[in-house]
Amino acid sequence: MKIELKKFGTTLISRQTGKEAYNAFLPSLRSISSQEEIIIDFTEVNTFSPSWGDEFLTKIIKKHKNQTKLINTQNLSVKNTLSLLEDINKIKFNIES
Amino acid sequence: MNYLTSGQASSLLGISNDTLRRWDKKGQLKPNKIDKKTSYRYYKEENINNYLKSLDIFKLAFIWAKNKKAKEPQKIFYCNNISFLSYKLTKFENELMKINEFKESYSLLTSMAAEIGINSFDHNLGNWPDIPGIFFAYNIKNRTIVLADRGQGILRTLSRVKPDIKNDQEALNIAFTEIVSGRAPESRGNGLKYVKRIITKTDNFSLKFYSGTAELFLKHQDKNLKIKTKKDKIKGCLALIRF
Repeated sequence: MKIELKKFGTTLISRQTGKEAYNAFLPSLRSISSQEEIIIDFTEVNTFSPSWGDEFLTKIIKKHKNQTKLINTQNLSVKNTLSLLEDINKIKFNIES
Repeated sequence: MNYLTSGQASSLLGISNDTLRRWDKKGQLKPNKIDKKTSYRYYKEENINNYLKSLDIFKLAFIWAKNKKAKEPQKIFYCNNISFLSYKLTKFENELMKINEFKESYSLLTSMAAEIGINSFDHNLGNWPDIPGIFFAYNIKNRTIVLADRGQGILRTLSRVKPDIKNDQEALNIAFTEIVSGRAPESRGNGLKYVKRIITKTDNFSLKFYSGTAELFLKHQDKNLKIKTKKDKIKGCLALIRF
């Protein structure tokens, strides 16, 4: 399964919209098997903040830790937000270099 | 073209009609039209907004945040809900993206402003002491972003999860340095740590942050926090980002 974050918007900043995005995507997440890979693609995301990321990304990664891969994370706000979320939650994300 | 009456213009500026009249006499802000029969003065809204943008936005926010009298800030700087703040942040992001110099750093500036501004809402929702919402202004030419709220401030917010905090200075230090549990009700601290990371690792970025009587100054490559005690008390939080 590939999640293209740009489909939720290109300025992903508020906790509230992060929560809404997660709830909207929950039915799709429930349908995936424990073997299936979840690719989260940051292409065309302009701004990504820890508040949005904590509500969407952290929840998915905590649930599907070994299945999730993050791609196209070059944007500076994406890089820095991922690094902070890793520290806060004490988990290492699988980021494609 | 719609014109504003002097009453409407002074309300937009957050000043009295008498002050606006004095500004007219001094040539500080002239009306765009005067009715010859009644001598009523009329102003273009665009001119009023441009005038406000040309002022010292930090000073305007500082005065608003510390004022004992609760009053909404000037309309052009006032975000009374998260949706409107998000709209203004996207506008700010779009303006920066068009400038070659900010083609990479735009996302850092937008995300820092978002973390500070949106956290004001997250931590004061339903508990605003007087004026709900925040002051948000920026001046790309002067490379400044200003955010302020008249909320409960860092000390009161953090005391909910850390009741032993003694004062504003200690609270500000914790907010910028300690990782507060990701799922605790308090998450403002984590947002401020994000801001600290960006400021300290980016050349030319700096931050002044005020809450209660505490004042923090942070810049590129700073290792330790410099937190001072101020005489002027800020009711909620006030932030100035320079870039």
